[in-house]
Parts: sequence; structure tokens; C-alpha cells
Amino acid sequence: MADENKKIIDARGSSCPGPIVELSKAYREAKVGDILEVWSTDPGIKADAQAWASKTKNQILEIKEENGVIKVTIKVLNR
Amino acid sequence: MTNAEKKKVIIVGAGDGGIILSHRIKKDFDVTLIDKSTMHYFQPWQLHIAFSGAKEKKIEKRKLIPRGAKFINKEVKKVDLANRKVVLDGEELSYDYLVVDTGSRGDYSKIPGHQELFNEFGDFHSNTEAAERLWSKVKSFSGGDAVIGISYPTYKCPPSPDEAAFLFEEYINKHKLKQKTKIMFITPFPRAYPAEQMNEIVEQTMKERNIEIFTFFDVESIDTKNRIINSIEGDKLHYDFAAIVPPHRGAGIVEGFSDDDGFVKTDKFKLNIGDYDDAYCMGDATNIPTSKSAVTAHLESKVIRDRLLGIDSRFNGRTHCPFEFGYRKATFVIGSYDDPVVKLKPSTFMYLMKMGMKYMAWQVIRNQMEWFLEPYFKMTDPKKLSKKNK
Repeated sequence: MADENKKIIDARGSSCPGPIVELSKAYREAKVGDILEVWSTDPGIKADAQAWASKTKNQILEIKEENGVIKVTIKVLNR
Repeated sequence: MTNAEKKKVIIVGAGDGGIILSHRIKKDFDVTLIDKSTMHYFQPWQLHIAFSGAKEKKIEKRKLIPRGAKFINKEVKKVDLANRKVVLDGEELSYDYLVVDTGSRGDYSKIPGHQELFNEFGDFHSNTEAAERLWSKVKSFSGGDAVIGISYPTYKCPPSPDEAAFLFEEYINKHKLKQKTKIMFITPFPRAYPAEQMNEIVEQTMKERNIEIFTFFDVESIDTKNRIINSIEGDKLHYDFAAIVPPHRGAGIVEGFSDDDGFVKTDKFKLNIGDYDDAYCMGDATNIPTSKSAVTAHLESKVIRDRLLGIDSRFNGRTHCPFEFGYRKATFVIGSYDDPVVKLKPSTFMYLMKMGMKYMAWQVIRNQMEWFLEPYFKMTDPKKLSKKNK
């Protein structure tokens, strides 16, 4: 996986209105093939990111949790 | 202490937060406020200008600022945190402490076609003329497709787009246009209201009133010729009427500490900028994850006052956003960094409180309502209200 197309969205500590805001903004600037990785401490990100991916027809590659931080990796397929 | 002995605080931007802060610190500091505007507007009233033809509420800033504080009616070009200077046109002013309160405003250049839409329809997030323009569109509306909502995830007053949908529905209902109208609410968020607990009430109300909800709708462009709003996700909505909250930007005058949207990178608890313990940011100008609203600025002003006096106060992200539902009902969105939003059903009592704020607005900014607000915010602490709800 080429890391030069990867963007990290650090939304740790953001809960109003939440990390989905940062994901939405990053998606606006993204191109097909980009990787977006959202870092969040808000457990709601898992459901929100999955709903987002389903609606926007993008792909969730991985959701993992490390030391209280949830990392959601998304591949942009549709933009 | 004479003024010569007091430390100098410069407040850039005489907004709701900056002015109330100046009242809180006037005895202990030599205060200067700098703002390019001389007039102060009660911004929440724009919603009513736009949806019921109300008149604007404004006052000269000089009438709100404490005697003894200086007011400079100029524009600040940038702040130099390292050298503790504020740069204006042709002059520089030094400070001991800085507070940035430059607010946020609509950016109509971000989305193609938005400026044209704004020229025709106005909106309720900029100025009186734009709100009056929108009112004229409301009055002349005779049925069709109405698109109301959010164009970009950062904007001031989180309840405002939903308020607009509710007030518009009330208007068309009263004017017997409901059968001929389709109201579509657009939002880039996963739900009709960003905070899950409040969303349960909002979504149910929208469904009851036949307001169709389009989530994950990020506005990409507006085709004003064919009257279509396009989303990044590929949806297209036709409009005959549009009330769209614009993308918001900060002033971007703090070099090295502004994010992509011009908001200042601010510590969410201590409210200072970067590692500077002599520079703070408050109100809409910050990038902190809480609502952009006057209540936030009001509560932040207490924290900043304390910190300027050497007290380790921390902001807890408390929100208390008034939220109208139409039909003389309202609620408040009450939460904090640690507390989820309280599920508070709209009531006529809270509607009257929201309306009453208009009459108290200037006293609040002059720091004359603390006798009411201090106990009020304590009584309505989200931890307390959540317990009551159970």
C-alpha cells in the first residue's frame, strides 16, 4: 500500500459533533485511491464510519483499537 | 493599581466573548479591545428576521464596552505571538496578554455556485440584509421544493439549520402551502442533529412534520441556473427555495496556529494558543470541539479571566445551545466534553426563555446577569439533568 496517498485524520478528543466532521472534510479533498485513516477516542466513530462508507460507497479496510484510540482505515473508491 | 501599573491585555475582536471578558477583567488589567466594526448585532435574531420578518437588534459596541477600557476601531492584520505584538495598518501594539476573539463568518467562495445562490436567496448566517432577502423569499414562496440545511460541517450555532427547517415548516403550514411543498433537510452528518441524544427528538419531529432528511449530503456545487444542489456523494436536489448555512471560516490572523479553515489551534481546556501562556483564543475563532455559540464564549470568558489571574481554571466544553422547534416550543442542547447531550423535550417554557434572551442580551454582555446565569448553569449541569431524566 503506497503511504504517500495516506492521510491521517487525528480527531482524538473530538466529540462534538465528532470525528465524522473531520472525515467529511478530508473526503471533500480526497481523490480515488487515497487512504484516509481516522483516529478517534469517540466509540461512536465505528458505527458512523461504517454508515458513511456504506452511503458514500467507499471501503473500510480495517478498524482497530490501540490504547483507547480507535483507528479506522478507509480506501476512497468513489469520489 | 493605576492603569500604568496594570498588565496590558489586548482583546482582538470585540465579540460577545471579548466584551464580557473585558468586563470581568477591567479592575485588574489595562484592557484594549480592537474591532473593525463599531456595531454589535444580536446574531440569533437573524433566524427570526428570515422566517418571520422580525427587525434586527443591534447596538454600538462602545455602549457595551466598560468605561476605562480602550476601544480601537481598526482591523488587526496579524498577531505576532513571539514578540507579543498586534499588527494593524501602519502601527503595532504590544501586549502582556492577548485574547483572540475574531469569530467566524460565512465563506461563499468555497462551494461553486454558492455566491450566486446567496445573492438571490441570502441566508440567516451573515447580516441583516441577507436575512431580509431570505424573508422576502419566504414571503413570496408559493409551493415547490424547499431545500434547507448545512453545506459544510463547520458553522456557527449547531441547532440553527434544524431550527430553520422547523420554522419554515411552521410558516408553510400556517399559510396553507404544506400540500404543495416538499421540504428537504440536508446535512453532511450521519443524522439530522449531530448529537445522538438530541437527534432522537429531532428526527421524530421531522418525520411527524414530513421533513425529508438527507444525511451524508456534502454540498459539492450549486447549479443556480437549473436550481440543483449537488452532493459529493452523487445526490442531486432541485430547489425552488433554499436556506443554506454557509461554510464558515476563521480570520486566520494567528500565523503558524491557524488550521485549514482559518481557526486558531487552541487548547480545549486551558484555551491558550500553542505553548504560549500569555495568548488565548475564545468564541467562534477557536478550533476546539464544541459548539460555536455565544454561550460557549460566555463560559470561556470565566476560564480566561481566572487563568489571567493565575488560577488554573479549565474549560469543560459545556454547551447550552437554544434550539427552537417552531409552534412556540424550544429546548436547549446541554452537554460537555465528558457528558453526552441531555435528551430534553422541547417545551413552551424553554421557548419563552429563548425569546427572553433577546431582551437580556446586552445586560448579559455587560456582565450584569451573572446573578441569574451562575446558578442557572449550575442547576442545568448535564450530569444533574441526566439523573433527573432517568
